[in-house]
Amino acid sequence: MLGRGAARALGALRGLRGGAPPARSLGLSRRLLSFKKVLDKDHFLPKPCWGKDMRRLFDQFTKKCEDGSWIQLPSYEHISSQRSQDFSAFIHAYFPSASEVINEKLSQAQLFTRGFEDGMGFEYVMFYNEAEKRIVCVFQGGPHLQGMPGFFHGGATATIIDATVGMNAIVSGGIVMTANLNINFKSPIPLCSTVLVNSQLDKIEGRKLFVSCKVQSIDEKILYTEATSLFIMLEPKKKKYDLKEAVLNPLPA
Amino acid sequence: MMRRGFRAAATLGRLRALPGAPCLLPIRNPATASGSSMASRISRFCPEKTDFKDFALPNASWCPDMLGLYQEFLEKTKTDGWIKLPSFKSNREHIHGLKLPTELADTPEKSDSRIITRSIQVEGQGYEHVIFFNPSEKKSVCLFQPGPYLEGPPGFAHGGSLATMMDETFSKTAYLVGEGLLTLSISIRFKNMIPVGSLAVLNVSVDKIEDQKLYLSCITQTRDQKTVYAKSSGVFFQLQLEQE
Repeated sequence: MLGRGAARALGALRGLRGGAPPARSLGLSRRLLSFKKVLDKDHFLPKPCWGKDMRRLFDQFTKKCEDGSWIQLPSYEHISSQRSQDFSAFIHAYFPSASEVINEKLSQAQLFTRGFEDGMGFEYVMFYNEAEKRIVCVFQGGPHLQGMPGFFHGGATATIIDATVGMNAIVSGGIVMTANLNINFKSPIPLCSTVLVNSQLDKIEGRKLFVSCKVQSIDEKILYTEATSLFIMLEPKKKKYDLKEAVLNPLPA
Repeated sequence: MMRRGFRAAATLGRLRALPGAPCLLPIRNPATASGSSMASRISRFCPEKTDFKDFALPNASWCPDMLGLYQEFLEKTKTDGWIKLPSFKSNREHIHGLKLPTELADTPEKSDSRIITRSIQVEGQGYEHVIFFNPSEKKSVCLFQPGPYLEGPPGFAHGGSLATMMDETFSKTAYLVGEGLLTLSISIRFKNMIPVGSLAVLNVSVDKIEDQKLYLSCITQTRDQKTVYAKSSGVFFQLQLEQE
């Protein structure tokens, strides 16, 4: 049975393209084209619920995208809204008996960020630096993520770490499975603050991907959390569905 | 907002570092230990009469497995020393009458804050769960049914939602057993995905208490124990709450 990371990977697969040949490398012009396509969508612009820190960091990283060294990753929602037909065909291949259930669930499916009203839960944008194999997630958590009064719940931190390292594994390894997630909480994060979730692909050993992550204050002076994770590549030789391509070059909505 | 956040962080910086610990945390002074016993913590946590709404009660969204196991545990609360824990919309309600130690109480009260596991208010859409606690065995069992809002891959719960449920069960257990309050670390080995709308049973136990830290472990599986969803462990730091 597939593990949890496969689940996440499969979720991102909703954006599969039908006939386009998979890309093997992203040239500079291609990245700029992605970036431009990405900027055209509503949900990549700052939202009213974003605070000053979130907007400032969004602008900072968007500027870094100008030379092509960074790209803004499409939101989970954006990937999922594409080509559900291709996707359900793919799902059927992995879960032959599950297609009816999946289709039913897809219609009422909500992504973990969607369970909240604007600004009350997870507000985040992810940026990817291919050369450094790094993903930075700018994350503004809302008041409905509380644990201890006045602070984020450990699970909220775990969730955003999981989303970030998971995405890092996907862009490097395609379809992946989370095997392990280890989180060390150094300092509790005050509720409603904006933080940087900085994830790094450390190494690939055969089908194993090792991704580490730090959660820091936006000036990088406070280290709130450190995490390491292990992902397993599922069927690395199967090139028919290029998940990396779906994530890095999504079709326009 | 950020200023307050920094102030809280700076306050933490005034605390001594535990040897070998990554975080600066208050040292428990045995001489001024609050002396709160497990029994007193439990009775405060589970008030007989309260105006706070208890969300850990069956509703129409609960699947038959969840209802069945819930009834089994309700029986055990009468005979085997298990206690059903209430679940309020915020931890402030759970520690009513107490407050966090000064070093951590610097952050402002937000009237609209909710605990993440009770943030999704539509029945059946989010974290449907109830925790049963056994004081003498230092164990908890959490019945968890993830709703569609917790979906990661289509039809299955997001890994972060299980991590959240684990942290929550660890944290309530650690608090009742030994005033464990702050999560120091959590380590999860995922085995299988949990289908949305189905029951996952989290079995948590306290393995040891040492140097102001509680060590807990958890196995998450189906009701019949035939499928293991994940195995995890957590370390919590003891902190005394102060009288308000």
